[in-house]
Amino acid sequence: MALGFSMILGVSRSLNLAHGDLVVLGGYVGYSLWAAAGLSPVLLLPVAALALAPAALVWDWLLKRTPEPKELSSLVLTFGLSLLLQTVMRAIWRGEYRLIAESSLGASLQLGTLALNRGRVLAAVAALAVVGLLWLALTRTRWGQAVRATSIDPQAAALVGINVDGARRSTFLLALGLSGATGVLFATLHYVHPAAGVELTLMAIVLSIWAGVGHLRSVLAAGLLLGMIEALTVTGWGPGWREPVVALMLLGSLLARSGGLARGHAH
Amino acid sequence: MPILEGRGVSVAFGGLSALRGVDVAIEEREVVGLLGPNGSGKSTLFNVLGGLLRPTSGEVWFRGQRITGGPPWVAGRLGIGRTFQIPRPFAGLSVLDSVLVGVTFRTRHRYRRAADRRAEAERLLGLVGLADKAGARAAALSLGEMKRLELAVALSSRPALLLLDELASGLSPKGREEVVLFYARLRERGMTIFAVEHSFGLLAQVADRMLVLDQGQIVVDGPPPAVLASPRVAAAYLGEEER
Repeated sequence: MALGFSMILGVSRSLNLAHGDLVVLGGYVGYSLWAAAGLSPVLLLPVAALALAPAALVWDWLLKRTPEPKELSSLVLTFGLSLLLQTVMRAIWRGEYRLIAESSLGASLQLGTLALNRGRVLAAVAALAVVGLLWLALTRTRWGQAVRATSIDPQAAALVGINVDGARRSTFLLALGLSGATGVLFATLHYVHPAAGVELTLMAIVLSIWAGVGHLRSVLAAGLLLGMIEALTVTGWGPGWREPVVALMLLGSLLARSGGLARGHAH
Repeated sequence: MPILEGRGVSVAFGGLSALRGVDVAIEEREVVGLLGPNGSGKSTLFNVLGGLLRPTSGEVWFRGQRITGGPPWVAGRLGIGRTFQIPRPFAGLSVLDSVLVGVTFRTRHRYRRAADRRAEAERLLGLVGLADKAGARAAALSLGEMKRLELAVALSSRPALLLLDELASGLSPKGREEVVLFYARLRERGMTIFAVEHSFGLLAQVADRMLVLDQGQIVVDGPPPAVLASPRVAAAYLGEEER
């Protein structure tokens, strides 16, 4: 999820405050298909990813038209889009808590003396696979070169003949596709509800600050660290403290890294 | 037919006119210098000619094809290369990868094999004297090295025309001598060049013809000696610059 947020920030200098809501939307789409057709969560991943393609095109179109400074105007626009998405999801799914309660994912996987939840293992394997594939795509393909160059300097990229609009559009499609698929994984582990995206967006921002824009391996490491801090918080103080602790980490990260979100574009 | 032609190019930023009906034509294999005081509209004219800025009115034609109004990457694909006054390297990439971007996306003389693209990028780095910096980060280079890298990136797309924006500014006397050599080398290769420089003396060494821009208009167009002798040039520009 944070990868998508970070890629959008890199390629368009836009802070997508609706990122978590798009993940929740993916979760709801996945839930609906699972409940109606009984599709396996593994099959739901690409379906939910594709379902968010129209939203990716709308996000790209809207954010391309925001005035300078992009970072600020995108905040205002996507805050509105976040509220709109929450209202739409509340209207469609009536604000009820939904879970993809797939029994096969609830079972535990025995690794020696370790008993691991299958759903969490699936999420971890999917995250690792996505980071690996994305790293290969960004560093070894023509598309990756276009996206990296566009993230660094769209004008300079256009001067060497790169279709910067195409690179940007494909990044939005990929980022929101990842959000859709993440939503399915999220819905297998947590109850989804229309307001659940706020916390997810907060996490994406914290991870992007920690890792720097587009640093794939750092995003993965930061994700693991954030997960551990969250788990310790919940264990020690209870689930009510999770959100305030993430917000405090965001504040601390911003104070500690004056370069903030715009720092670095390497992969 | 000129390789590049700007017809009646005007650009206004709000109420401020940066360019006012500029007509400019560059012939194939010609080296043309553009002079003008700060704020005269030189970089704005380059942005319009290079397809990065849509003019308020007027048109730009490159090899018989109208490029105004099209997307910004069209000019690069058709064969216009460009450097910036303040170098803009691909900061997160290595020096070699920066040049590889241009080699990969070129539309002429493309290489299918990655090894050939790499060899071409290394050849271009050798041409600008950066072969030993291939592995360095582009953002870590000195100003002079960044300008050379930008030239290599501009050459990487095999352009027919180069728009060079103050390649020599900010460089040491030795660096400026090297820039003069670069111009000579590019001219030998048959490159068409339209170059902005602050130094009249440097441009006079390399240019066939010079244009002088003042307050958004071309006020003088001719060979260097004629430009130097022009009273309008003295009034608009040379009074404050080295002769």
